[in-house]
Amino acid sequence: MTDPTLIRNFSIIAHIDHGKSTLADRMLEITHTIADRDMMEQVLDSMDIERERGITIKAQAVRLEYEADDGVTYQLNLIDTPGHVDFTYEVSRSLAACEGVLLVVDAAQGVEAQTVANAQLAMNAHLEIVPLINKIDLPAADPERVRHEIEEGLAIPADEAVLASAKTGVGVREALEAIVKHVPHPVGDPKAPLKALIFDSYFDAYRGVVALIRVVDGTVGKGMKIRMLATQTVTDVEEVGVRRPANIPVDKLGVGEVGYLITGLKDPSIVKVGDTVTLAHHGTTDPLPGYREVKPMVYTGIFPIDGDQYPELRDALDRLQLNDPALIYDPESSHALGFGFRVGFLGLLHMEVVKERLEREFDLDLLATAPSVEYHIFLTNGTSEFIHSPQDMPDPGTIDHMEEPYLKATVLVPPEYVGAVMELAEGHRASFKDMQYLSKTTVEMHYEMPLSELIMDYFDQLKSRTKGYASLDYEYIGYRQSQLVKLDVLLAGKVVDALSFIVHKDKAFARGKMLTEKLRGIIPRQMFEVPIQAAIGGRIIARETVKAKRKDVLAKCYGGDISRKRKLLEKQKKGKKRMKNVGSIEVPQEAFMAILKVDE
Amino acid sequence: MSSAGETTPLLPAHLYVHVPLCRSKCAYCDFYSLPLAGVTEDVSTIAGSLAAQARAWLARDVEPQRLKSIYIGGGTPSLLGLELAGLVALLTTWFPLAPDAEVTVEANPESLDPVLARALADAGVTRVSLGVQSLDDAILSFLERPHDAATARAAAQAVREAGLALSLDLICGIPGQTTQSWIDTLEGALVLRPEHVSVYPLVIEAGTPLSAAVAIGDVPEPDPDVAADMMLLAQHVLAQAGFARYEVANYALPGAESRHNTAYWTGASYLGVGPGAHGMLDATTASAVGFVPARGEDVARLRYSVVCDLREGLTPMPRLDIEVLTAAETRREDVMLGLRLARGVPADQAAVAGAASALETLRAAGLVELVDSRWRTTERGWLLGNEVFSAVWAGE
Repeated sequence: MTDPTLIRNFSIIAHIDHGKSTLADRMLEITHTIADRDMMEQVLDSMDIERERGITIKAQAVRLEYEADDGVTYQLNLIDTPGHVDFTYEVSRSLAACEGVLLVVDAAQGVEAQTVANAQLAMNAHLEIVPLINKIDLPAADPERVRHEIEEGLAIPADEAVLASAKTGVGVREALEAIVKHVPHPVGDPKAPLKALIFDSYFDAYRGVVALIRVVDGTVGKGMKIRMLATQTVTDVEEVGVRRPANIPVDKLGVGEVGYLITGLKDPSIVKVGDTVTLAHHGTTDPLPGYREVKPMVYTGIFPIDGDQYPELRDALDRLQLNDPALIYDPESSHALGFGFRVGFLGLLHMEVVKERLEREFDLDLLATAPSVEYHIFLTNGTSEFIHSPQDMPDPGTIDHMEEPYLKATVLVPPEYVGAVMELAEGHRASFKDMQYLSKTTVEMHYEMPLSELIMDYFDQLKSRTKGYASLDYEYIGYRQSQLVKLDVLLAGKVVDALSFIVHKDKAFARGKMLTEKLRGIIPRQMFEVPIQAAIGGRIIARETVKAKRKDVLAKCYGGDISRKRKLLEKQKKGKKRMKNVGSIEVPQEAFMAILKVDE
Repeated sequence: MSSAGETTPLLPAHLYVHVPLCRSKCAYCDFYSLPLAGVTEDVSTIAGSLAAQARAWLARDVEPQRLKSIYIGGGTPSLLGLELAGLVALLTTWFPLAPDAEVTVEANPESLDPVLARALADAGVTRVSLGVQSLDDAILSFLERPHDAATARAAAQAVREAGLALSLDLICGIPGQTTQSWIDTLEGALVLRPEHVSVYPLVIEAGTPLSAAVAIGDVPEPDPDVAADMMLLAQHVLAQAGFARYEVANYALPGAESRHNTAYWTGASYLGVGPGAHGMLDATTASAVGFVPARGEDVARLRYSVVCDLREGLTPMPRLDIEVLTAAETRREDVMLGLRLARGVPADQAAVAGAASALETLRAAGLVELVDSRWRTTERGWLLGNEVFSAVWAGE
């Protein structure tokens, strides 16, 4: 155990791509936490998808031994947090394990929406904020402007901001010095009963659930009997240790220390992020603040293209859930798509990552339906229910009114794009609240809008209409009443349930019309004519037709062509298998996502 | 069809020779050919090497039979000039020939003059397939063809005057080609008095300049509905002049059907010679020349392509890429190819090949019909041939 005065617990927060993971790599390097020969780009992002996309999905913790300029060796615990808004709760728990943060801002990009959002989380958690301006080696770097943005926009003093280039290593040691100097050491009562925060967990095939913890009071060590307060689970401690970044067992973890805890529990749903660990007997009854159940916000149907893969899909989801308790799923069946699952996600990024992992790591061919949110439906008989699939929408005659989740969206954008953001907002039922200049080059705009509109391609359009300059952050603000209707799509006269969606009644006509037009381009010509219709409650509001194909023949077929053309026919046949047969119509995967790409 | 062990090994009765040379590459073509300017060997060496590759087959331990057809295609065989006549003369001397053998050469208008036409006739050529493509100069230049309509007319005239049968290749469904341009080409072609006409809808092949132009939006993608209309129009105009469509793309006056090409669609084996050429052998012959094991494996048919490069010189026995088909695959392939012919395939042959239920499904969709105990495509099935071919090949 280390004297708490020699411990610094900190996190690095940043907008995506501002260089957080590269900075962490350099810190590992210069503290010799990891040998140069084992150095791999972005050590803390261990999943392929994290490295490829340059994002952090899972929180990580690593202990650095750092000999500071004062000659003393400090224990620095770096807690790497997910940078994306989908994982705000996880970020808040990681921050709760720290006393300070390193706020990384790109010297060229400046303050962006997630910079603001993360800085606010840190301020709300009363953490010391050490600003660091990164990428000063870039030709477009303008540290003075960025320093100004940090002070004006975030009200964080930045005259002592560390100027760094994680890429070249410049300023990394200065950053560690600033952490030692400015971040307060942890304070706790070593004599009090154990109180430790679980800020993340992962599943190990041999050891079971491994919790990452921060000790607040008391000590935790091998052989102790402990209790998790939220789930009231009592268990033995099999092992505690620290991460460097491989797990190194230690006897005990004391006040202020960060490490891992293995209990032998195999069920990840018992070990909850944000929960408090204490002693089984005479422990505290007073949990650490901030715990909440993680709740999915976005739902989608996931179906195997080949129905025989249903059991494999179920196994794959089971496996992923071990490391991702936020992932929930229930069986769903569709007339059009057969058996699959309704899967709930924290947000769109979470959804994309999970789908990609299912396809890549488990070799499944999947089809996802357009995401939907969870609607709250109040029936005329006085009861209410939540639905998260358009298929579950009750008969409109029985509905008194409906509510949908709303959020507060924050958009940071250069002033010249304010008009474009306003225009986009109108198409997405976003109501403007206020705006302020963070600096001459950055405007912060606030909107309230339905989540269902945000997932309707809002982010991609925001990016494209502002040439990539806008950044977005959002937080949930609760349910609000909306006039919603279910829009059905009919192919060849039959409702295709997987294409149905719930939409505001004022938008229904326009979206129905645009969706049918879009589908006409997506659904390939078949042997027969395919009418595409959009309908609300049996009333057709839009119609398009995919004409029957007339010509499809390999006309030139002589001696040299026979093998080649036979193979071509086989390839075409395989391409068709990637499509879903809905009735006798071949529907490509993208048709089910077409509603998201309906531009207004 | 014959299968392994039942027949004596015989060399095929059809010979194809590929001349992989072109004056320049046309915008739409993905066939194997090299620009003449890039080849260092002179044309007489090339002609001699091709002849030597053909002759090497006669050195194998298989009985030759009388050739019913020889077809020299390309590329542009007429670029060999008088050497092409020499090549034909060598082949017809070395190989035994059936009395009424069909000997075709492909020619492009710009490299076929009356002298060459007469020389070809003297060497034993009976038929010339002329790459006219269109009689609209604007279309010809869009396709980057190295000739104009007047040159095409003159070449056709030369073929006729040399007493050779004439076949014309025409292309429809070209971006920018109007219906009127197509009608004018069809009617202009008939004025040249061919016995045989081939009509191809333009296909954008991957890797061609045309496909690049389509990809960047310089050229619109050919409209398949327009191509369908033009194919129907061609059938109509040619029928008025006495031409029957006997295959997907081929029309002939009675008795003037290409015997060589018909071999491809009826499961007859053929030799392929020259870079990129393909050949087909039955299992008996294939095992006699040592290409497949004599027994054990289920091999009924062998298809090969010739792997060699003009620029590296032609050896008499180049490497062959080999594909083998089982007896069941061979039967399905025969039905698939047979359905390219207007006369179709006998119902019992289709049944033996296991294609009956696929054909019933296609009949329900209006793509094939059963007439006089033969399955054949309807007009709709002609234009949607791939649906028919892939269903039959898959046996579904």
